[in-house]
Amino acid sequence: MPKIKKARIAVKIDMTPMVDVAFLLLTFFMLTTQFRPAEEVAIILPSSHSAFKLPESDVMLVTISKDNRIFLGFDSQRLMGKLFGEENRLRTSVEVTTKELPDLLIRARIANPKLRTVVKGDVDAEYGLAEDIMDIFQKTQITRFNLVTDLKRD
Amino acid sequence: MAGVDTAAPRGHDKKKKKKKKMRRLSIRIDMTPMVDVAFLLLTFFMLTTTMSRPQTMEINLPPSNTNVEVAMSNLMTLRVKDDGKIYWNIGVDDPKRVEYKDLRTLMVQQSQQNPRLITLLKVDRKGKYRMMVDIMDELNLAKVTRFSLAPMQEADKKILSKVPA
Repeated sequence: MPKIKKARIAVKIDMTPMVDVAFLLLTFFMLTTQFRPAEEVAIILPSSHSAFKLPESDVMLVTISKDNRIFLGFDSQRLMGKLFGEENRLRTSVEVTTKELPDLLIRARIANPKLRTVVKGDVDAEYGLAEDIMDIFQKTQITRFNLVTDLKRD
Repeated sequence: MAGVDTAAPRGHDKKKKKKKKMRRLSIRIDMTPMVDVAFLLLTFFMLTTTMSRPQTMEINLPPSNTNVEVAMSNLMTLRVKDDGKIYWNIGVDDPKRVEYKDLRTLMVQQSQQNPRLITLLKVDRKGKYRMMVDIMDELNLAKVTRFSLAPMQEADKKILSKVPA
């Protein structure tokens, strides 16, 4: 007697919806992703519990590097070109000295009064330099600024 | 599985056999490689994208031309030496050493005892930027909002050098 043959059902899965969703996600991530802009120097950020977010636009970024150099950068290329010359238009920040800084800060804020000042200091930068920069801020009437930190969780 | 059929012969075409038959080729495109690449790109973008923006700490400085008179008894001075040691005193008392991890409890205690306390933070110029951020973070966590930064002068260093280690 022959065995009862099990009918084999060919499973055919329609993958179309999955592929549709995959493409949707792909387009979403491709459009929203922002590559980290190339930095002049690598900065190791100090950490804090503060949960303020960095503003998205009109940012004036003063970077203090590990070897105590100061970099000034803006998020708009127009302003970079205006202050540092057209050849530096595409750079994210340009090295400045404490002598040039007050003048540049004032000129930048004349060009865009909405600028928000952000200080990004390396953990190992000397405090004296940060103190000088804060002194310059005070003299140029920048009374509110933000320090970039990493979020500390404990 | 992932395929596209185009120009499949339709049923009613069979009736018009006398007409010159248009040869419609049934083209089957295998979409598998394209979908593979799409998934590859999807994973790449999902992994490289960073959704969070960096955190910041906000600081308000008083305008340079203002002078605030503070009674000595309401003034707490925090001095940080270049090696990161923290000393505190109120008014003209002798500075006392405090460990960084005990700073928060100290600040909470002191501000409860005297709600009008104003904190002055003096960090040695040779100190690290990290010290300032860490201490300001502790002050914020202790809900001490009234503090200011002042340069550390030679007189401060002299006071600190008298403190027994």
